Amino acid sequence: MEKVILIKYGELSTKKNNINFFLKKLKENILFALQDFDVEVTYDLGRMFIHTLSPDKVIDRIKNVFGIHEINIGYIIETTELDIVKEEVLFLLNKKEFTTFKVESKRANKKLNTTSIELSKNLGAYILKNKDGLKVDVNNPEILINVEYRMNNTLVYFDEFKGLGGYPVGTLGKGLLMLSGGIDSPVAGYLTIKRGVKIEAIYFESPPHTSLEAKNKVISLARKLALYNNDLILHIVNFTEIQEAIYKNIPHEYLITIMRRMMYRISAIIASQRNAKLLVNGESIGQVASQTLTSMSAINEVVSIPVIRPLACFDKLDIIELAKKIDTYETSILPFEDCCTIFVPKHPVINPSKEKCHEYEKLIPYKDLIYEAIKTHEVKKITAKENNDEFKDLL
Amino acid sequence: MIYLDYSATTPIGFEVLDTYNKTSKDFFGNPNSIHELGVKSKNLMNSATKQIAEIFNINESEITYTSGATMANNLALIGTAMHNHKKGKHIIVSKLEHPSIYAICDYLSSLGFEISYVNNDEEGLIDFDDLKSLTREDTILVSICAVNSELGIRQPLKMIRQKKKKENPHTVFHSDMTQAIGKVSISMHDVDLATFTAHKIYGPKGIGVLYKSNNIAISPILFGSGKMNMLNPGTPAVPLIVALSKAVRLATTDIEKKERFIERLNLKIVDALKKYNGIMINKTKYSIPHILNISLRNIKAETFLHALEEFEVYVSSNTACSSGTLSTSVMAVYNDKVRASSTLRISLSHLTTTDEINKFINYFDEIYRKLSGLHN
Repeated sequence: MEKVILIKYGELSTKKNNINFFLKKLKENILFALQDFDVEVTYDLGRMFIHTLSPDKVIDRIKNVFGIHEINIGYIIETTELDIVKEEVLFLLNKKEFTTFKVESKRANKKLNTTSIELSKNLGAYILKNKDGLKVDVNNPEILINVEYRMNNTLVYFDEFKGLGGYPVGTLGKGLLMLSGGIDSPVAGYLTIKRGVKIEAIYFESPPHTSLEAKNKVISLARKLALYNNDLILHIVNFTEIQEAIYKNIPHEYLITIMRRMMYRISAIIASQRNAKLLVNGESIGQVASQTLTSMSAINEVVSIPVIRPLACFDKLDIIELAKKIDTYETSILPFEDCCTIFVPKHPVINPSKEKCHEYEKLIPYKDLIYEAIKTHEVKKITAKENNDEFKDLL
Repeated sequence: MIYLDYSATTPIGFEVLDTYNKTSKDFFGNPNSIHELGVKSKNLMNSATKQIAEIFNINESEITYTSGATMANNLALIGTAMHNHKKGKHIIVSKLEHPSIYAICDYLSSLGFEISYVNNDEEGLIDFDDLKSLTREDTILVSICAVNSELGIRQPLKMIRQKKKKENPHTVFHSDMTQAIGKVSISMHDVDLATFTAHKIYGPKGIGVLYKSNNIAISPILFGSGKMNMLNPGTPAVPLIVALSKAVRLATTDIEKKERFIERLNLKIVDALKKYNGIMINKTKYSIPHILNISLRNIKAETFLHALEEFEVYVSSNTACSSGTLSTSVMAVYNDKVRASSTLRISLSHLTTTDEINKFINYFDEIYRKLSGLHN
């Protein structure tokens, strides 16, 4: 009897003509997540099989792969002979504790001279006879025993785990996530990846106003996202000169508005360089002054690339809950200043006017500054697994 | 030299010492400093902590570094007592604990806490019925060591946890794992609090760990600056921490393989010593092979120890921390004063060689003949 892992696709099965593209990508992503395991992955239109010697560890790992709706542990019994199947199923069930069950049979092998319903009844009766204290419950069984009689063998499965759902990463193109050290943007990135969009991320630093620790914090957030994203490219842009120019020359109530406009411009240019089709950020309507509708409109007007805000209509508490779920919350709340929290005016404008933005921006040579910032920006590849090589010989 | 006292302390591993030296030299920055040098030290320290957390499958925030097991036991027991004193003042410990646990219990008792000592059966296993009858609504803490330091008796922590939970789910469960880590595989998830120290696992002296599950809270008993080490504030001992992490990694690798080898050495000694009338082997079916305890009839353990010392063979009488008195652990298991009054502990390591054991057996024979003749 061989143990296999069974993967069900869920939403993917609604794709008709290009389902093969999705499945190929899903297989690729699964293999990427399991790169340090010895596995074999096969699939048909209904599901995917993973053959491995360490199923528990593999399941732990693929629980983080998008595009998987459900994961089952299956057992392949090398025969379709009913008496042997019955014994093997009983053997498997003896390791489990439960009180109610239901058997569901599928019969691909039509040579079996009976119906699926008969097969279920037959097996169910055998289980009842040989294991004490059990009841059949067809509506709400504690475990559902699936038995598929195939041409040369029989597949049995009853343990199921929920997958993350969503689409396989990379099936829907690429986006650029504006990643700060806060709670929201990593969650926005996660939700975007979930829809099959592979992301790169951009982070603005302002040394010496922001510290190395703030940067390390963003790198560890990027690492958490890399787990779902098959690694992640992080663009680190030095924003000091732009930020200082704004601070020195522009009325302080417009600091944040103009700063955000600069960030959007830089992001749009890097997105187009990297062939990313959209910008993603963690803005949520009304959360802060720069996230009122007027502010969003005044900031958004500087770019023509679509800007997706997955959290636009989320409450803060719901965002925090998601951040905890994806394990970014604890990192996000570490107290290091990022460039959105330094140079904060006492009274930022809530309803900025576009005309004033245009007028004020003339006061600084922003095109040159942006050009310089993009030219010198740092590109860092972040792997899901921390590269501890730096300390390897010490540890 | 034939060193057979590995349960008292171990020689520091060459690689571990190397880590200590390099870290002291290259990462001297204070991890509490926010400049680059400090951040570098902090990153290294965090990586070291992460490695320990991964090995024991726990959260990094559940690890507190201490100066050793005694300090960790103090933080655990006193911290739990202080945090829960309004809920109750009753504490249960076993009769097989390290003396440091009893010393802390004496202190807590002077503060008005009530200490109960749970019985064990003749194999040294905690008596579940007694534990059940002792556990009350106001029992705030149960502390039972994972492996006893004198007889090497291993307790089934998971079962103890289940029994305890049934009687009082709020009681905190602490285990001194000093003699268990690196010798047997163990799960921190069976307990709420656990303690161990580096110098028993070929690490440096002066560094230990308190594991505190994030599911429970204890009161700090030490106060200082910095937010990193709430239970043991102050500048973290980065070189010791990194060396500890390395020692943990090395000690938890190939545990079963090492254990099988040590088991063979243990049996070889037992085989040789059981022929003497005046020797009693204090070994139950729950004793781990790393620790072998014997009682000497008619010969003072200390005399025997010093006689062995002349051949540069080093063992313990009772334990290093409590020599001179009756062995509490042997009393607890055998309830025999003669047996408990003169005990030797021979503790083995994967570093011990068969040749050393052969020599030890010969020296033992020579000394035994000489000393037992004196008393006859």
